[in-house]
Amino acid sequence: MAYRNIKITKGPAGFGGPLIIEPNETKNVVLCVTGQQISPIAKKIAEMTGCELVDGFSTTVPDEKVAVAVVNCGGTARCGVYPRKRIPTVNVEPVGQAGPLAMYITEDIYVSDVKEANLSYTDETNVPAAATAAEEMAAADAQTEATQQPAVEDGKKPGVITRVGIGVGKVVNKFFAAGRESIDTVIRNILPFMAFTSTLLGIITASGLGNVIANTISPFASTLPGMLVISFVCGLPFLSPILGPGAVIAQVVGTLLGAEFAKGHIPAQYALPALFAIDAQVGCDFVPVGLSLGEAEPDTITLGVPAVLYSRVVTGPLSVVIAFLFSIGLYS
Amino acid sequence: MDVIVNITSGFMNWFAEGGNTFSSWVTGIIPQVVCLLTFMNSIIKLVGEDKVNRFASKLTNIAVLRYTLMPVIGLLFLANPMAYSIMRFCDEKYKPAMFDVVATFAHPVTGLFPHGNAGELFVYMGIAQGIQQLNLPLTDLAVRYFIVGIIMCLLRGIITEKIYFRLAGIKK
Repeated sequence: MAYRNIKITKGPAGFGGPLIIEPNETKNVVLCVTGQQISPIAKKIAEMTGCELVDGFSTTVPDEKVAVAVVNCGGTARCGVYPRKRIPTVNVEPVGQAGPLAMYITEDIYVSDVKEANLSYTDETNVPAAATAAEEMAAADAQTEATQQPAVEDGKKPGVITRVGIGVGKVVNKFFAAGRESIDTVIRNILPFMAFTSTLLGIITASGLGNVIANTISPFASTLPGMLVISFVCGLPFLSPILGPGAVIAQVVGTLLGAEFAKGHIPAQYALPALFAIDAQVGCDFVPVGLSLGEAEPDTITLGVPAVLYSRVVTGPLSVVIAFLFSIGLYS
Repeated sequence: MDVIVNITSGFMNWFAEGGNTFSSWVTGIIPQVVCLLTFMNSIIKLVGEDKVNRFASKLTNIAVLRYTLMPVIGLLFLANPMAYSIMRFCDEKYKPAMFDVVATFAHPVTGLFPHGNAGELFVYMGIAQGIQQLNLPLTDLAVRYFIVGIIMCLLRGIITEKIYFRLAGIKK
């Protein structure tokens, strides 16, 4: 029986991987743990690797025989169980490091949101291909008999109730994954920023530094020319890439300005132009990365970076002017 | 002794102030953001990236749509930073301008749809918090921010495109 190595990459909303599955004589089972139905992904993997497909819900296989486990876990148990045992795990649901076993879910052992398009052959074959197809068949038969595992039935149409159940399950899984993602964002991005800024803000306000800042920034931010100056400075090609990263500076300045708006030092209708004045540098640190996310050629990136940076010198102040026009009638 | 006590209490006061700000943000901002994020994330998962991509690939040939609708769709459905991947449907020569446009909209989107760039909420939220403390409605600001954002996308798209064409010696 010839086994072939395959590579499994993550899907559009997935995590982890790519995994290389290397089956051999002793490690030759694709364990499918997807409940009612055998996942088409598991079938495809078994077909591509030449491994035996086993339904994990109807039988068990010793761990050391499992080349890869396929699960459809929404993020509680199964997605962590197999990585914990260091068995390569494929999750057909878009779940990242989640659940009580999250610490075991690492990129070298786990890949999620896998679709058929994410499966591909690697170049080398593990074992020289069997001499003839007949031999291969015979070997496969012998193997099945030897292991005495119930073969998985193909083409078994699930009943209506099962199908409805699976449909509902899919939708609920998506909602659940969405909720998990939101909480994740809050914990990873929003709360840390709040912690850092509120501490900073507390120190600034309580130490009296706030008054100093108020006296320096407010006059700039409460007139159109002042805001034009701010945006022009933020948009300078040698400054904008430094001011950009994570929008941290824009966020801190925004929060400081917010405090000035609250005290009435800056008229409320200037909020709109101020939003653009402090943001002329947005993304300037990110041009090459962003362009490569958009699959741009290296030549495009070389000239694209200066094009964006030069453009900001003009369009930064321009955005303030337009925002200023649109702020007429705001809060009056 | 009194001096030490005074210094210490003054020092602690800094962090009490920070704590107040923090708790008001946590209770005032996070609950709504969490629900909105969850809702929009669910919709994105239900719609699926494929459909978004297919739709986006139809918009790229018309400049007005390219520089207005694409960043909006990109940020609403793919969010920062994956929104940048939407420009792979553009011709190579439009990509620098397209990048600029997506970046431009990365913060105006957060006023109405915080999920679009949840990691950088405070550019808008920082200023909006101040306005909220004046008891003024935020929707007014958020809608205008969104609209001016789109207008700026169009202008910046056209201007950056011209600059890039000049630098790269591309004739239209």
